[in-house]
Amino acid sequence: MHGLARLSVSILVAAASGAATADVAKGKSVYEKTCAVCHGSGLAGAPKIGDAAAWAPRIKNGNAALYASALNGKPPAMPKKGGALDTPDADVKSAVDYMVASVQAKPDAKKDARKEDKKPDDKTAKPERPAESAPAAKAGEPSVVSVAPTAALAAVATPVAATTSVPAQTPAAAADINAFNRLLKPVGRRNLPPAEDGIHDPANDGTIALQAPLAAYGNLPKSNAGNRIDWVQSIATKKITPRWDRNDLKAEPVVMDLNIVREVKGSMPDVVYPHKQHTEWLDCSNCHPAIFVPQKGANQISMAAILLGQKCGVCHGKVAFPVSECRNCHSKKKDLAVQKTAEAK
Amino acid sequence: MAPRPTTGPIGRALAALLTLLFVLAFLDIEPARAEYGDVVINNYSDAAGMRPVVFPHWFHRIRFRCKVCHADLGFQFKAGGNQINMAKIIDGQFCGACHNGDIAWSVENCNLCHSAKPGTVTQVHESTIQKLAAPAEPARK
Repeated sequence: MHGLARLSVSILVAAASGAATADVAKGKSVYEKTCAVCHGSGLAGAPKIGDAAAWAPRIKNGNAALYASALNGKPPAMPKKGGALDTPDADVKSAVDYMVASVQAKPDAKKDARKEDKKPDDKTAKPERPAESAPAAKAGEPSVVSVAPTAALAAVATPVAATTSVPAQTPAAAADINAFNRLLKPVGRRNLPPAEDGIHDPANDGTIALQAPLAAYGNLPKSNAGNRIDWVQSIATKKITPRWDRNDLKAEPVVMDLNIVREVKGSMPDVVYPHKQHTEWLDCSNCHPAIFVPQKGANQISMAAILLGQKCGVCHGKVAFPVSECRNCHSKKKDLAVQKTAEAK
Repeated sequence: MAPRPTTGPIGRALAALLTLLFVLAFLDIEPARAEYGDVVINNYSDAAGMRPVVFPHWFHRIRFRCKVCHADLGFQFKAGGNQINMAKIIDGQFCGACHNGDIAWSVENCNLCHSAKPGTVTQVHESTIQKLAAPAEPARK
């Protein structure tokens, strides 16, 4: 009798957990098919899977609120059902559960992880394992059961979930009117692939074929402005070897090494204009005589003109490094006035 | 309660793409964040029912020095200042000097150049002028 009761209980548990694991599997597949586009990487401010800090404030509002957001969408970024409108409501909820489980390390999630590891003998093992692992989970012991790696994972994950019950402030509080760097391009929004850069039409089939900037920038020297690439260094260190002639692959530039120093007003360091770096890229006729008269003292240049796209501003501030990089040009220190007066004494 | 069979890799990719498009449509309110120096040319495109052209400076400067286009091919240093049209390109002028199926892919690939969102104005993207003239970013809803 005793044995019979135990058997029936174990069957019940097995049946229940079987249904639960099917839901988890469903949730996982829906997540991978639809949700992962954004929730996999945290695109468009989506809470990233496994990111406990991002999920905590949302989980706090309860499952019903989460389901509602998933089913009805949440402006500005979250579309109804993640855009997959033909997904049944129950499956959408399963996907939500799956993502929530990723930060909560529920017993369900543990079981699912275990199932994933042990796929081949899945069916034969099913009646045995849940009955065996459920008590272990209840007892709260970091189980000594069968699969050590997943158990360890779960043990690590549990304290994380515990700490996240305090709502964590995510740095991406873009909606805050008094946010820092309101007008700056956030780090995560630089060098975007064409389909996401806001200028290319993502509905255009050609857009997908275009190279993404980061794919090209891989090992190029970095800078703090423009494309965030130091193009002068790139060419100097031969990281890139752009053609000098479109047909003749062996043509070499005629590099002219001549620095022109322009004294400027005030305490700003004088400008050193290096012909060398410019003639690596350009022909004399690009600048002379239309933009700069090739004669000392014949060119009136001001920062105002440059900002308006004249003189140096024909390129600097459009494709070459922008005027924010003051010291790239204003690079020759002046004899300080203090020193001069000291000498006079 | 066996899990339904997935629709296969193609269906999955399609769904992912659709989702991305959907999301991007919602993100339209945000300002564009394309590469520094990307030039949009919309002299004739919109009027002709084509998407405007995006010229990625960064991509070309990895492969060619400025001089190739701006001295040899006669491109003026001004976005939209070159009155380029398809007839000239097919005749081997401007873009057509390379985009001829020999040095670079040829003019049949309309959508690789004509790839901007319809209505995008002629501009050097992220240029100092553009930044100076731009009004403050509207508060996000």
